[in-house]
Amino acid sequence: MKPSTVNDPRRTERAPGLSLKMRGMLTAWLFVSPTVAGFMVFFLGPLIAVVFYSATEWNMLSQTSTFVGWANYQDALTRNPDFWHVMRNSVVFALGLVPMNIALALALAMSLYRPFRGVVVFRTIFFAPVVTSAVAWAIVWKFLLQGEAGAVNQILATVGIDGPNWLREPNWAMFAVIVTRVIKMVGLNMILYIAALQAIPRDFSEAARLEGATNWQIFRMVIWPNLAPATLIIVVITMIGSFKVFDHIYLMTGGGPENGTLVLAFYIYQQAFEFFNVGYASALAIIMFFIVLALTLVQILLRRRGSL
Amino acid sequence: MNGIRHLTAGGFALAICLAAPATAQELRFTVWTGNDAHLAMLNGIADTFRETHPDVTVRFETIPAADYTQKLTFQLAGGNIPDLGWIMEDAAPAFINAGVLEDVGEALRADADYDYGDFSEPAMGLWVDGDAVYGIPFSTSPLLIFYNKTMFDEAGVETPMELAQKGEWTLDKFQEVSKLLAEADNGAYGFEFKDGQGYDARMMHAIMPSIRANGGFAWRDGKCGFSEPEAIAAVKQLHDMIHVDHSIVPPGEQGDFFSGGAAMTVSQISRASKLAEGPFEWGLAPLPAGSAGESPAIGQAGIAVFAQGKNKEVATEFLAHMTNEENVKIMAQFFPPARKSILNSPDFVESNALIPPEQMAVVADAIANGSILPSHEKLPQIEAAMKPRMDTYWRPDADVEKAMADVCAVVTPQL
Repeated sequence: MKPSTVNDPRRTERAPGLSLKMRGMLTAWLFVSPTVAGFMVFFLGPLIAVVFYSATEWNMLSQTSTFVGWANYQDALTRNPDFWHVMRNSVVFALGLVPMNIALALALAMSLYRPFRGVVVFRTIFFAPVVTSAVAWAIVWKFLLQGEAGAVNQILATVGIDGPNWLREPNWAMFAVIVTRVIKMVGLNMILYIAALQAIPRDFSEAARLEGATNWQIFRMVIWPNLAPATLIIVVITMIGSFKVFDHIYLMTGGGPENGTLVLAFYIYQQAFEFFNVGYASALAIIMFFIVLALTLVQILLRRRGSL
Repeated sequence: MNGIRHLTAGGFALAICLAAPATAQELRFTVWTGNDAHLAMLNGIADTFRETHPDVTVRFETIPAADYTQKLTFQLAGGNIPDLGWIMEDAAPAFINAGVLEDVGEALRADADYDYGDFSEPAMGLWVDGDAVYGIPFSTSPLLIFYNKTMFDEAGVETPMELAQKGEWTLDKFQEVSKLLAEADNGAYGFEFKDGQGYDARMMHAIMPSIRANGGFAWRDGKCGFSEPEAIAAVKQLHDMIHVDHSIVPPGEQGDFFSGGAAMTVSQISRASKLAEGPFEWGLAPLPAGSAGESPAIGQAGIAVFAQGKNKEVATEFLAHMTNEENVKIMAQFFPPARKSILNSPDFVESNALIPPEQMAVVADAIANGSILPSHEKLPQIEAAMKPRMDTYWRPDADVEKAMADVCAVVTPQL
């Protein structure tokens, strides 16, 4: 006689037609589906669209579009001298910003990672610019960096220094936007370094000290190698951020003077939204994507080889 | 039984729907003013349109001026097309060339009450292509010298209006007066370029009045005029005023006229409302004359119907209503008209409560004799190409002739 399955408790646990594994998968998909849908609609879709647009000559105003293949890339890389000027500016901006930001963030983190009375106040002060509105930050600095009437130059004048017209001389303008950007963003890297420093067991430093290591030796031989993974992440995100900088440039210099601060992200904006050359701007955006990707891969490779 | 009742009720409902008047229409109209007085006036005009079109409402949508053309373009590209909009003079050629503006010429000419011929021909130049009419100018506003009369009185210097009445208001006198005002102990510069943007977005407003007063031009028949002797003399004078006389607010500094940071500026009468409750007395004067005499420069804006709009017919009717004689007269208090009948009428000079009639007469003269600021289909590209070269030019040690030759080298290919 076959055993009855009507009252078998295992039967009642299963939904009709779905195995337990399938139900698990369905639940998981339901949980992740909002994120996946958002990713597809707001990231993947536009990304694919930009690749398509980059092969067209699309005038946003007249809504005319012609397939031009690689022509936009050729224009940027071989025909348009502005592109290489813009690339040079972007590299100068990144090379100025990344080391300054990392060095300052590390110095601040080394000073503030151990608990002492008032440490939270100091951390808050250095982190506050990160959460300050970028627009307000840039506008206030634009006022402070005026020529003769600017607060910065008036302070310099009290010690006998005749400050430059910061935002109207190309080299000084680049320096000014780099420094104000570093002050704005250094707090974020400081927090990342503080977290990394607090994760290094104190035993390491204490053992080194017992062996007679100096503070500098402890930093160089113990702390710095242990900070390498954090440094990699910090360098990558700071580098990517420096190539994407837009708001500071837009508000403080508008790419001037004499195109001295015209960086890639602002140039893309100018082409797309001031001249309505969406196809060319899309090609520039793809080029920027590959530059950032290449920089990231190089740093990961260096990290794997132990050079960083 | 219930089924019959439902059927009857449904039939009544359908009959009511069919008998009801056509669905109400809403026209969306983009503007760049957020000024309460301006919007109240515009809404008043929309209310009078409802007298003949009771089912039509007009919604004015403010887009800030700085981003206006850009955001309007996004709306057009994204299919969110307004029915009507204000169009800036610098954007008009590109919009017309792209085919996004509707030709309203036939409709306006066919309306006998509208009197299309009343519009001044020079004022229509930017908006007409053959018989096609792509917009009607609602503001034909000349650039004028706004001056701080309190500062002039304190410095014991004759005002620009007094000098103009004596026929002595020239570029040289402008330079002399600016220097006197800058040297007076009032903590202000002598002159500020329009909106403090003369080195950036208002580059053309900064240099063109002087260039034209000297008989020069920006571009003409594909030829760039910035390297011509007239233009070089004009911009050299401005350069001297900045770096030798220190009378013009220099690049990178702030000297806002409206808050007392400069004794003079260039602006348009729509800005007069900013001085309504100001801390100083002020006045208006024409732009100074140069070696070629007086040459007023005019900024212009028009109203256009968008070719892809869903309500083009009603939108064209509203355009006609808004720019008919009666409503142009109402708008003239803020926006100088292009209708000859109003411009020449005594009502116009008395239309703005803030500006005395003799000064409004300056506005009317400038409109009658002036010409529109340079315009071109590729103006954004031209200005972007000019900007870095002009930055070089505004340096204290600039080589004027070389800088202006460089400007023409980049402008000419765009023409």
